[in-house]
Amino acid sequence: MDYDIPMDGEDTGPTVTIREASPAAVDFILRHVDLAFANSLRRVIMSEIPTMAIDLVEVKKNTSVLADEFICHRLGLIPLNSKSVDDVLYTRDCDCDQYCENCSVTLSLYARCTSDGVMRVFARDLVPQDPRANEWVGVPVIKDDNPDGALILKLTKGQEVEMKCIAKKGIAKEHAKWAPTAAVGFEYDPWNKLKHLDYWYEESAKDEWPVSRNGEWEDQPQEGEGVALDGQPGPFYVNVETVGGLEPDVIVQQGIKVLQQKLAGVIQELAGGDNQAETNGDGFGPRSPEGPSGGYDQGGYTTPFDQRGGASAWGGGGMTPYGATPYGQNGGNW
Amino acid sequence: MASENQDMPDAGGPVQGLTDARARQEEERQDAILVDDEQKIHVLPGSTDTSASFEFLHEDHTLGNALRYIITKNPVVELCAYSIPHPSEPKMHLRIQTFADMEDNNVYDVLRKGLMDLQDLCDVVTENFTTARDKFVQENGST
Ligand SMILES: [Zn+2]
Repeated sequence: MDYDIPMDGEDTGPTVTIREASPAAVDFILRHVDLAFANSLRRVIMSEIPTMAIDLVEVKKNTSVLADEFICHRLGLIPLNSKSVDDVLYTRDCDCDQYCENCSVTLSLYARCTSDGVMRVFARDLVPQDPRANEWVGVPVIKDDNPDGALILKLTKGQEVEMKCIAKKGIAKEHAKWAPTAAVGFEYDPWNKLKHLDYWYEESAKDEWPVSRNGEWEDQPQEGEGVALDGQPGPFYVNVETVGGLEPDVIVQQGIKVLQQKLAGVIQELAGGDNQAETNGDGFGPRSPEGPSGGYDQGGYTTPFDQRGGASAWGGGGMTPYGATPYGQNGGNW
Repeated sequence: MASENQDMPDAGGPVQGLTDARARQEEERQDAILVDDEQKIHVLPGSTDTSASFEFLHEDHTLGNALRYIITKNPVVELCAYSIPHPSEPKMHLRIQTFADMEDNNVYDVLRKGLMDLQDLCDVVTENFTTARDKFVQENGST
């Protein structure tokens, strides 16, 4: 069942060019991949990379002017360091009832204003408690020069807040507070040669819609040039800016990893279905937790359909740390 | 004003009470994420070995469109398409039809091949990204 997948444009396969990299953002050009794949990467980066965020708050004392819920909401949105967040379990996968050190990080907040004037309470006042899954996870992100972190609330004389904050692992699909990025820049065809956009304008689309700086990377269309009807979208200009919990390049790598985990999950279930194909009419009967296939801890399973050698249409060159999926398979060896 | 275990309110709509908020939060959680032991794929009725519709739970355009693209590249595939039948249901449908007179045209096989090809593509992109990043850091100093 091997065949050469016709590459889009050139036969070099996907390429990446980094234009800019800083602790806050990476800007890169992704070439020779399809819009569908580039968009999947964008979507997965925005909504499915696990990070840490405050999820439960025990309000012990709050005599500030802000309502409990209001402060809790603000606490949830404070970026927390999520380096090596794989060391933390999801609470739903944990043995505990509500939270424990394996699936959460506890941060305590205590502030009392005793002097005249206004006291400001910052993210730096959130104190992570030990034990924690690792030394990074759950620590408030502080990037400013002062260094204070995000402003949570203000107190005047005699006011006091005391809270126990439970930070958990989660993804932005569930709540935006778990988003690793504030936004992902994504553009292709800056000159709109493919006419995928129909600009709204008052007098002149050309004057009212200035071409982005990505336009410098492509040839300007000639006057009166027709639309390439078979033109394919690409290259893709991507800019990933972190909220602070993960480094920007880690976000991209994690995004691809999450996509692979998704695929591995489906492959695994497909394999589970094969074993029951004869007994169940639809080939996908319910699978018991300790199912006959041996479930998730089975390494290299073989199926009646698995007749391929190690050759892959993509060359199977990817022996990166992320090549090995959490399900024990290596993508490069398919 | 003191209370215990205040849940995080979502934007919009007042939080009515702890149990309400907790129940709603749990509901949203289940929409977004696969619950334990829930089956992820089903084959829809009327499917044969050369044409089948699959229903994926808790998947969306992220998987659907990329999978559709890569499966369409397979020469034995006559048609591959996906849809999300209703926006408030966490379901994605994928249809695959293969040429009846070609070899290796089993749709389950084709689906698996598509998934694995996408994994390989991911590997290549990660590798190229890592290489490009290292090269950039080397040329521009560590950032
Ligand atoms: Zn736990």
